[in-house]
Amino acid sequence: MSAQTIVGVLALQGAFSEHIQLLRQAALLIDQTHGNGLVWRFIEVRTEKELDSCHALIIPGGESTTMSLVAVDSGLLEPLRQFVKVQRKPTWGTCAGLILLAESANRTKRGGQELIGGLDVRVNRNHFGRQTESFQAELDLPFLVSSHAVKNQANKPFRTVFIRAPIVEKILPHVVGIQDAEAERTDTVIAPSREIDTKLCRQGYDQEVEVLARLPKDAAKKRGKEAVQLAEPGGDIVAVRQGNVFGTSFHPELTQDSRIHVWWLEQVLEQSSQRTNR
Amino acid sequence: MATELPTSNGNGAHDGESNFAVKAGLARMLKGGVIMDVVNAEQARIAEEAGASAVMALERVPADIRANGGVARMSDPQMIKEIMEAVTIPVMAKARIGHFVECQILEAIGVDYIDESEVLTPADHIHHVEKHPFKVPFVCGCRNLGEALRRISEGAAMIRTKGEAGTGDVVEAVKHMRTVNSEIAKAANLSDMELRVLAKDIQAPYELLKETARLKRLPVVNFAAGGVATPADAALMMQLGCDGVFVGSGIFKSGDARKRAKAIVQAVTHYNDPLKLAEVSENLGEAMVGINCASMKEEDKYAKRGW
Repeated sequence: MSAQTIVGVLALQGAFSEHIQLLRQAALLIDQTHGNGLVWRFIEVRTEKELDSCHALIIPGGESTTMSLVAVDSGLLEPLRQFVKVQRKPTWGTCAGLILLAESANRTKRGGQELIGGLDVRVNRNHFGRQTESFQAELDLPFLVSSHAVKNQANKPFRTVFIRAPIVEKILPHVVGIQDAEAERTDTVIAPSREIDTKLCRQGYDQEVEVLARLPKDAAKKRGKEAVQLAEPGGDIVAVRQGNVFGTSFHPELTQDSRIHVWWLEQVLEQSSQRTNR
Repeated sequence: MATELPTSNGNGAHDGESNFAVKAGLARMLKGGVIMDVVNAEQARIAEEAGASAVMALERVPADIRANGGVARMSDPQMIKEIMEAVTIPVMAKARIGHFVECQILEAIGVDYIDESEVLTPADHIHHVEKHPFKVPFVCGCRNLGEALRRISEGAAMIRTKGEAGTGDVVEAVKHMRTVNSEIAKAANLSDMELRVLAKDIQAPYELLKETARLKRLPVVNFAAGGVATPADAALMMQLGCDGVFVGSGIFKSGDARKRAKAIVQAVTHYNDPLKLAEVSENLGEAMVGINCASMKEEDKYAKRGW
């Protein structure tokens, strides 16, 4: 294992500085718990060279249309697909980032938009509507309990901020190649297929999508007044993971709460140590 | 002013019923992006395809408001709705300074951001709109730190440093950005006691001034606006510390709007990369002709509007 773990935040547009601040905060917490002198570097990624240097990547909130167009114009779209789908390096997308990581998306701009893919889900863009429908809600996130550094605080609700947010509308079956059935749907765009490099990633990359959090139907109306229970059945899917690709439809980067960043960085460490070629 | 905007913004003192975190949060999602003035659905689609992070819907771009004269008002809601239908990126619209009913109308049709703008003819010579009670967020212009903090205290969730709209001359945008930066640098070195005096002098609320001094930057997202006509202009404003750029007449008053729009979007992402800036600046065709701000009469300047 090399001495330094480099985590990039895609800085083409959007709230990238916020993620870097929370990553630094999370690294401090991890250091206090694990205390084994891990060295982190958190960098803004605008070029292929910067992307190549990263062990893991966050795609932040912003405008997904803008990010995908700028990625194309900056020659970064294909390298991103290599990073996420071929090399299968750990990646996390928030809001716009979740849209870009989906294999299928609807309600995109006329003529569609380019997706990176990596998560076998269909995302409904701007599910909640326009900005006046944006809201905050306190949400329980039981998956945090698997973190070493923050498991003691895993029961505390997380203040989730939803801004013109997407949701995961459908979990798709894991397929080799493109999502054929999705390609048949009108007004739906899909990501192209890229074959996993099995020399780099030996195991665990044919997993199904796990639902990590749902937003109960009435949460939007409560507007952050009280915590909502995940135990209620149904509700919109707002956090998913498939292998080492993670997506949230809300913005942990707009809070001071670094618990999700801690949880994610711990997984980055674990997954990176399993790779044959870091 | 390359200082970071802390993630807590809006999650503290300001975050009451008005949901300030959500309002200021959308501005954060626009950062590193270009917001383009458009007058119809066709232009809105061109802006979206070029990678604009939002569009500003208005009937006439500032260069035409300048040329036509008369009273400039909120745009026809029908025209704004057509633009909202045409694109999936956020749509902003302008209301006159102090015209809270125009704001109510814009909120009712569901625009994503309201610009209380000096480019339109002011409706009130003393008051700005009380912005906290609205669900829709506001962006307002400023020429200096006092003006910016007064707007934030009224509820603006985003600021733009005013250039001289509709001129294609970036000089006023630079002047006002440098003014804000130097005032913040000065405030950052003052004691609390001295900050109280400064707050009185610049007519800004003390608490907001103190927060700004501590952060060494404005406590909300700040874009450049007015006079940006080239990729180099946009990158200049970014290097001066702006979080993003509004482009008004600069795109659709130029020779090749599609190409220039794309180039300015690239310039805002890669603002620190001169080679990339050179590449995107090539063969853009005619820039807007423009008006030299130095030859303008003081009373013709829009940036002076705002109190």
